[in-house]
Amino acid sequence: MLLRLNIADNRPLHEQVAGSIRRAIAEGECGPGDRLPPARELSQALGVNANTVLRALRALRDEGLLEFRRGRGVTVAGGADGRSALLERVRELVADGARLGYGKAELIEMIKEAQ
Amino acid sequence: MKDRGGSKSVAALGTAAWAAGILALLVALPLAARRGFDDRLATHWGALGQPDGSLPLWGAVLLPASIWTVLVVAAVFWRAARRWRAAVLLSCGVLLAGEQLAIVRANLHHADWHDADSVTVGAVVTVVAAAVAGLAGILASRRPTTPASPPQGPRMDIPAGERRVWLSRTTNPWLTLLAAVTGLVALAALLAGIGDPTKPMWLLIVPFAVVSMTVLACSSVRVRIAERGLDVAFGPLGWPVRRWAAADIDWARAETRTPAQVGGWGYRLSGLGTTVMLRSGACLVIRSKGKDFAVTVDDAERAAALLNSLTANPAERP
Repeated sequence: MLLRLNIADNRPLHEQVAGSIRRAIAEGECGPGDRLPPARELSQALGVNANTVLRALRALRDEGLLEFRRGRGVTVAGGADGRSALLERVRELVADGARLGYGKAELIEMIKEAQ
Repeated sequence: MKDRGGSKSVAALGTAAWAAGILALLVALPLAARRGFDDRLATHWGALGQPDGSLPLWGAVLLPASIWTVLVVAAVFWRAARRWRAAVLLSCGVLLAGEQLAIVRANLHHADWHDADSVTVGAVVTVVAAAVAGLAGILASRRPTTPASPPQGPRMDIPAGERRVWLSRTTNPWLTLLAAVTGLVALAALLAGIGDPTKPMWLLIVPFAVVSMTVLACSSVRVRIAERGLDVAFGPLGWPVRRWAAADIDWARAETRTPAQVGGWGYRLSGLGTTVMLRSGACLVIRSKGKDFAVTVDDAERAAALLNSLTANPAERP
């Protein structure tokens, strides 16, 4: 799998790592059920601390994109590809909203009205 | 490419001439000297230099000639062994011809094969000459196996401010199974030895344990491409590891290879360089310091592209 780490933006590093894995899932680099490389491997490859990678992986598990299984490591959750792509767009929407001065509550109102 | 084809045909001509020459020598030597001895020749000598085995004249002609023929056919048609062809043909040709010469010389002027001279000196000289010829063959065949053809491999555009890494893993379940089975045999032998300590079965334990460990290390491979270069980790523990710095890699490309091409599964050395063969299909091939290394991974095309982009201008990478 190819991982793209955007090191130009100034978000916290663990969010950048989570973003690169989220993007990899969204673009089909690893499909549902695939095993992710071990955290140590990811940290060595990306050149970031292993704890940062673990924090990113836990965040992605909480989003429902990854599953932690004893003995099988970290796998991509079923249906994660579509969900990951959607989440990435929601993040962009929130960022754009913040730039234009709209809070999350206002965006939620907009989404409700969009139907 | 053209001059490679030319040197290939010269090599083929040389091989044919060498094979025919040795064959002629093996047949002609005893026939030419047949007046010098009886119809049986001493062909085997004991440790003290006394003859203890004989063959009729036709046997002394046919046996080495047929050995040579089989050897030449095998060396020419076995593709995986072509790297060693020159060395094997040179050394074995010298060996057979030298032995034949020594045998004929020892039998000359002896009516009965029991009275034949000793061949110790001739045998030693022949073995040394064969070793030298084999070494010369290895040295001669080393040069043409590394043709200087720098192909322009695939590239990948990496936007500024982006760090790209590529990770992959290939596993061969059959090799894992083989490692498990041999490991179990070694373990069972060890446990049986504990129950009956008079006869520890080291002859069973050690080889099976070694085979199990070796096969396990070759059963899976993890490939990692990052800014630092290429890392290839073997086995489930990710050890041992082979590393190449990005600056040392001349080029990378994707290629399709099969176990038949490289001589089997696992860690193979062949005319194509080193290949880590876990399944037939796409391989990532790199050239570093004049040596080729290949590993079977999925998505090798993009891996090669990323590696080429990383090695092209490492100074520009953030």
